[in-house]
Amino acid sequence: MAAEKMKLDVWKGDWGLPSVDPHCLAVLAYCKYSGVPVEVNKTGNPWSSPTGNFPVLRHRGETYCKITDIFNYLRKEHWGSDFELSTKQSADVVAFSALLEEKLLPALLHLWWMDDKTFIDVTRPWYSRAIPFPLSLFLPGRTQKKAELRVNLTKGGENISEMETETKVYKEAKECLNLLSYKLGEKQYMFGRLPSSLDALVFGYLAPLLKAPLPNNQLHNHLLQCENLCRMVNDVLVTFFPADLREMEEKQKKEEQQRARTSSSENSEFPNRRRNMVLAGFFALSAMAVYAWTSGLIQIQISDLDPAPSPAPSTTRKAQAVKGEEN
Amino acid sequence: MTALLNFMEGSGNPKMPASQPWPEDVILYQQYQVEQITLPDYSQCLAVEAFLRMSGLLFRVEQRTNAADMSPTGKVPFIQVGSQLIAEFEPVAAFVASKGFGLSKDLPEESVAEMRAYISMLDNILSNAEHYVAWLVPEVVAEVTKPRYGCAYPWPLNWLLPWLRQREVRNFLTVKDWASKSLEEVVAEVKTCFRALSEKLGKNKYFLGTSPTELDAVVFGHLYTLQMTKLPGSPFCAVTKEYENLINFTKRIESTFFF
Repeated sequence: MAAEKMKLDVWKGDWGLPSVDPHCLAVLAYCKYSGVPVEVNKTGNPWSSPTGNFPVLRHRGETYCKITDIFNYLRKEHWGSDFELSTKQSADVVAFSALLEEKLLPALLHLWWMDDKTFIDVTRPWYSRAIPFPLSLFLPGRTQKKAELRVNLTKGGENISEMETETKVYKEAKECLNLLSYKLGEKQYMFGRLPSSLDALVFGYLAPLLKAPLPNNQLHNHLLQCENLCRMVNDVLVTFFPADLREMEEKQKKEEQQRARTSSSENSEFPNRRRNMVLAGFFALSAMAVYAWTSGLIQIQISDLDPAPSPAPSTTRKAQAVKGEEN
Repeated sequence: MTALLNFMEGSGNPKMPASQPWPEDVILYQQYQVEQITLPDYSQCLAVEAFLRMSGLLFRVEQRTNAADMSPTGKVPFIQVGSQLIAEFEPVAAFVASKGFGLSKDLPEESVAEMRAYISMLDNILSNAEHYVAWLVPEVVAEVTKPRYGCAYPWPLNWLLPWLRQREVRNFLTVKDWASKSLEEVVAEVKTCFRALSEKLGKNKYFLGTSPTELDAVVFGHLYTLQMTKLPGSPFCAVTKEYENLINFTKRIESTFFF
């Protein structure tokens, strides 16, 4: 029997990334590392997903939704580069994956879903644009609630205030970034020259943090200081996802062209500024005039300036003119 | 409120100068070990105790039925140093390090990274598995956990409080995606964790280098608890017996530091 192709559904990409979701990115990276023949469907419609979230891997009638399940399945099918690792290194993969989940994931959840500024400026607009109409009304809210529950139950507690939880979560995440940076050192990947599932996970968690247009954020700034982590993320993007980078460059170029065209007038943020000012001034003036007129402040009398001429001479003048034409 | 402030001082980045003398009267609070304490709490208490013993610091253990309610975070164990209360393993380790008695101060950076990673693995997998077995496996809940948890209270509290606690643990495991797992899956996770630990330890005496670190304390806390606790159905029995070097490790730590 011909091998059926695996199908992978992931969240759509943006900002030069193949997907915006950390787990989707990790699965995509893992597939690229090991050349898994997979049909990727980038979508914003989670209607077909059993959990209402992505990634979802479908193969031979089976569906896998959780990232650990997907990795396990791919490993079972002998896809992946983890087989090259020594048993000690495999142990490290398990440990560092746990570290990411325990220390970095809560901070990312907090950043995307609980930080008011990011949620209102970036997360909610992005998801409500990506998800089709009826679902877009409640899915972002549901995900937000889930994220809040997870962060508060695992990191907070009854006696701990929200501010303390936030401080703790970000402190742990920064420590985690430092630890990853030590572990990576000057190597190309965590375990030398070959990328492993751990590299896929790290890439998934860090790429959105590095590339998304986040309002000034402490975690983003901290990541910028870990130069070797930034280098690794950029390397992976250039090597394995050149198409998305190109797409973003084209989009940026197009936007710049458009901006260049519109910003011939001085302020590009407000195109047609002068026209709008004139229109507003005209509207205000006419509104004032109408008010003044209706309240009787000014009265308009329509009358001719010169006293009404007697009808008789005008008719004679007309008659003369007609005569003149005939001549 | 003062307890909370003290906790903040202890757990936040402590700015105290290093190498102060170790305070004289340090008390470690936990629940009654024989009658009351539950499986997940016991491994945490044991980890902190092992850590303090490995650091060679003087302290005494006080057992209180309401230790969890006295703790600033609601979790056992916690230590009292003068007027400060410091709860849970990591803040305690940070506090001890700030006094200049840390176990991992001479480790190279990469080893520190590994140590933290393995500690999170233990927190993430073994601690979740312990909560799962203690509070979500029906026969263990009915025969062991609930009677123990409620033993200090009169009726109807001895029925109500364990029930509330069970609900709390279930919510906690639900957000971590553990509540939907079957017992077999949980045992498989534990096995992955044990295999990783066994590989990491190899034939060494301690996990990192030649002297004990925080990681050894945490591993000892979990392993000893899982090996020694008798549970109906004994779900972890086969897994704990599989790795020879881990069994020897707990025996060695016990005989070196606990007598």
